[in-house]
Amino acid sequence: MEVFGNLLTGFEVVFQPTNLLYVFVGVLIGTVIGVLPGLGPTATIALLLPLTYTIPPEAAIIMLAGIYYGSMYGGTITSVLLQLPGEAASVVTALDGYQMARQGRAGPALGIAAIGSFIGGTVSVVGLTLFAPLMASVALRFGPPEFTALTVLGILLVTYLGTKSFAKSLITAGFGLLLATVGQDPVAGTARFTFGVQDLISGLDFIAIAMGLFGVGEILYNLEKENGASMVSSRISHIWPTMRDWAQSRGAILRGSVLGFFIGVLPGGGGVVSSLASYAMEKRRAREPQRFGKGAIEGVAGPETANNASSTSAFIPLLTLGIPSNVVLALLFGALLLQGITPGPQLISENPEIFWGVIASMYVGNLILLILNIPLVGVFVQLLRVRAGILAPIALMVTMVGVFSVNNNVFDMWVVLVFGVLGYVMRKTGFEPGPLVLAFVLGAIMERSFRQSLLISNGDPFIFFTRPISGTILGLVVLIIAISAFQFFKRRRATVTDELDDEVQR
Amino acid sequence: MVTAIVAVFLLVSCSSGGDKGGKGEGGSAESAEEYPSQEIREIVPYAAGGPTDLAGRGIAAYFEDSLGQPVVVENQEGASATIGTTELVNSEPNGYTLEMATTSPLVLVPLLENLPYDKDDVETICVTIETPAVLAVRQDSEYETAEEFLEAAQANPGTLSVALPGANTPQGVELQRLADEYGVVVTPVPFNGDSEAVAALLGGNVDALFDPAGDVVFDRLESEEFRALAVGSPERVPYLPDVPTLAELGYETLTLSTSTYGLVAPKGTPSDLISELESTCQAALENPETREQIGERYIPEQFIGSEEFRTLLDEAWETYQPILGG
Repeated sequence: MEVFGNLLTGFEVVFQPTNLLYVFVGVLIGTVIGVLPGLGPTATIALLLPLTYTIPPEAAIIMLAGIYYGSMYGGTITSVLLQLPGEAASVVTALDGYQMARQGRAGPALGIAAIGSFIGGTVSVVGLTLFAPLMASVALRFGPPEFTALTVLGILLVTYLGTKSFAKSLITAGFGLLLATVGQDPVAGTARFTFGVQDLISGLDFIAIAMGLFGVGEILYNLEKENGASMVSSRISHIWPTMRDWAQSRGAILRGSVLGFFIGVLPGGGGVVSSLASYAMEKRRAREPQRFGKGAIEGVAGPETANNASSTSAFIPLLTLGIPSNVVLALLFGALLLQGITPGPQLISENPEIFWGVIASMYVGNLILLILNIPLVGVFVQLLRVRAGILAPIALMVTMVGVFSVNNNVFDMWVVLVFGVLGYVMRKTGFEPGPLVLAFVLGAIMERSFRQSLLISNGDPFIFFTRPISGTILGLVVLIIAISAFQFFKRRRATVTDELDDEVQR
Repeated sequence: MVTAIVAVFLLVSCSSGGDKGGKGEGGSAESAEEYPSQEIREIVPYAAGGPTDLAGRGIAAYFEDSLGQPVVVENQEGASATIGTTELVNSEPNGYTLEMATTSPLVLVPLLENLPYDKDDVETICVTIETPAVLAVRQDSEYETAEEFLEAAQANPGTLSVALPGANTPQGVELQRLADEYGVVVTPVPFNGDSEAVAALLGGNVDALFDPAGDVVFDRLESEEFRALAVGSPERVPYLPDVPTLAELGYETLTLSTSTYGLVAPKGTPSDLISELESTCQAALENPETREQIGERYIPEQFIGSEEFRTLLDEAWETYQPILGG
């Protein structure tokens, strides 16, 4: 089969000693930052992005991808031991994982999470291996109208899913879209909204914005937080789950793998959404749902598996269409652009070493993570002793040097600082920077393809609905809006009737 | 944790060793005999890895050997390459700061935007590479020849769409002139770079593309996925010998769509230094190793020196000004 030949090409890339080292370094950093609360994969990748500029593109992307899925493993550790999710996707793990730890079963909780993650990641990579080339072959049928529809769906899902307040993420996404209009008009070619600033002629630099909002913003925010959670300090033993644990979680792991894979492909689907979905599914299927929240091992196994599976399959839209489906992948998109490579339908034929290299590296990376995690959990826990006061200034300095090194441009450093302060303020006020950054990236693609579509159709807007792929995607968009609007009004009517009842009773 | 992060930084910075260098801070002008007595800085106003960067680095390597001083390539991307060009224009005109520029930041963007410089604020040295634009359709297109395509466009204005690699490109201006001067109206659809324009044509989303015949487009012509209808250069292109020029086909004035890359210095750089750099550039473009490195196909057959490069910029300026304003 052709796939195996191609995959072999990928393994040739990965097994070059330097690349193997980058996989290892990537997953190690991923695990470490997954453990450290606050510093998530997004911030880390944003901070490291400029440094990857000088290494070959396949090495860069392999390492950054390793950080991403590595952090999914690492995040589990603090969730279980401290009830402190190291990164967002492990939030649900904290529910049952911490309870297990309090019952003295931290070992099996971490063990099953590592095994589940490995299985989920691997199942998803196999899916990616088989599915991505298929996708790439139909990707050429994605013209401007399809890209317009996809970006609309992406922005909608990102604002709708995985955020606490829909209104707030709608505002931040809107702001991101506005920022995307600064700079060169994609059709007329003239600059707009630059206020006479020459540095803005081709718009704001995505990397500088991301480094500011995620990197600097997060550093500032973490400085005021206190690390006051109580650690379950009992020794971690019996990491290998017992037969009974395994029997209980086997189904959850299998379902989590498949569920995570499919959710990950959707825009906005990686990470949190998949682990929440898996938790909900396991709880619904369970014979004794009341065990959930009190240390049910399925409640750890399912979500942990799902978030790893989804973080892997999220690479499909990026590698085949050039559409990042979540913020971390938007950063990887930026990393490839930085290297002079535009991810898209051409990637598989023009840069097979990157396409297959990344995929092959995930097989290797997941294996390294399994080996790394089971015996070294105790070591990683010690990392929690590093004080933010030491980490923060180093990270800040590296950020500023890093962003300057990309374009040798002082203006970008100001962009980082301004967006750093903005990111801090946003977090303080409950606005998430994710939708902003993704809307900024997708907004530029959306505007360009929207206008290209209208040029091609001579101004006829029906081009978006008459083409089967874009029509289907837009139908989906309408459906999602309709369902959530319906639920909203239903809920409102319910509360209104409740209030009326209260009135009557009074 | 800290150790791990430091390790990566070391790992990464090792491979970038010596890439970024200091400025060539020169004092008073030197005579050509002493020049160069210190390192030369060469600005590339685009990202590393692109065609400009490749040409810049190829030339830099030869200059380093030939002039006996380090030539440090510095990528200063941004604002449609005007950031790097502004930096050059503001540098000391002592021969220690050069730029690998293109006609876009030198002519097109200054006409469109309010910039602190224009094409007369640089001294031209030499043209390093030229990529002529090609009008191409998909192999299964109903249009076999350029005549058929352009006649169809003339008969039904605006119905044929043509992908461009960007909005601010010489190719875009040329399609505008095709409409203004010859009444042949196509719908230009600007994409983001060659790869996206190629993908749009491959997927049948546009009817044709008008794009520099660099590697991305050339590969598709060679694999016969695309068919070249015409080229936009004044003469036929040696590596596409059977493809007629637009001028041959009766569109005599449409010869300006070639993407041109060349070496420039700040205005006021002494003329003896310019001529020394010019002759080094000529030697570089004859050197087999350099030719191989920057892409033999794209090096002009006839060397285009300082004066011819200047004429080229002036002509482009005069032609574009009425169209773009300025």
